Amino acid sequence: MAERENLDRIIAGCKNGDAESFSQMVDMYAGRCYGYFYRLTGNRAVSDDLLSELFIKLVEKIGSFKGGSFESWLFKVVSNIFHDYLRAKHRRSQLLDAQKSQLQSQTSEPGQSDSDAIDKLQLQLNKLDADTREVIMLRYYSRASFREIAQMRSEPIGTTLSRVHRGLKKLRELMEG
Amino acid sequence: MEDQTNENIEELFERFLPDEDARHAAEDIQKAEEILREHPAPEPAGELLADINSKIAEALSAEKAKTRKLTAYRVAAVAAAIIILVAIGVRFFEKGPAETQSPVTITLIRQAIWESEDISADQAELALLTDELEQIEGEILALRLGEDGGESSREFIELEMELTDIGGDFWKG
Repeated sequence: MAERENLDRIIAGCKNGDAESFSQMVDMYAGRCYGYFYRLTGNRAVSDDLLSELFIKLVEKIGSFKGGSFESWLFKVVSNIFHDYLRAKHRRSQLLDAQKSQLQSQTSEPGQSDSDAIDKLQLQLNKLDADTREVIMLRYYSRASFREIAQMRSEPIGTTLSRVHRGLKKLRELMEG
Repeated sequence: MEDQTNENIEELFERFLPDEDARHAAEDIQKAEEILREHPAPEPAGELLADINSKIAEALSAEKAKTRKLTAYRVAAVAAAIIILVAIGVRFFEKGPAETQSPVTITLIRQAIWESEDISADQAELALLTDELEQIEGEILALRLGEDGGESSREFIELEMELTDIGGDFWKG
């Protein structure tokens, strides 16, 4: 309850343009949002850029949050930023077809060219299809309920349940195999 | 809205699967999520967070400047609208309908006659008035035709006095 009140206070401060409140928001959510971006891109540099973009966007967008679950709202923005990145990457790869393989190695093949050590989970995650990987990460990092995730993705709850279940079961098999 | 802590995954699966399968599905999810917890993603670097905070500060001041500019435009627009409305209002009132005045009515017949209910007495008075008016009319006509044989100005003065007397007597009742 106190946590919720604290969050409400931070959100109100952000809406009033208070830099300190935004700083608290960064402290609270940067780790989870970064984890989401990193697990989906496998690239720290790209994740850095997306995280920066997210918080700059929040400065503009925070006024449009009208209550309800803040984390659902936040991760909807996070998910949109990730999709914008995918679209931009797709356009870039179309424009620079000659350099396609190089670009893909930089942005779309998670982990392959990343200078960071790639953990086992990242490697196995890359074996799942993109949509399943995304919904699993959304579930894990947003901490939203299945009902909320279904709403975020505008799909029936049964579809979300089935996709997350199949994806996680396969991931577990890959990790234990 | 519920979050994960209040969510009963098994119950959710029971809507789509037999009880036993629903229990297994819920267990699959819990075990796999445990694997995710055991393999945390890297944390954002401290420099990155400091950079984000400074970018936020810049974005906030840009946002405030934008808000101030918008407010100034709105105030200017409202002021312009008020000035236009006032100008239109002033023009309208300048050209507006003239001040209404109560109509002036002139009557030769005094109020007492209108209000009286004694018809026969009123008829006699009106007949007398009509006779006197006809007599005056005749005298005026004679003066115009020069039948009086001169001294027109004196005749006019007398006629005028006579009219004044008739009017005075009549209004006195």
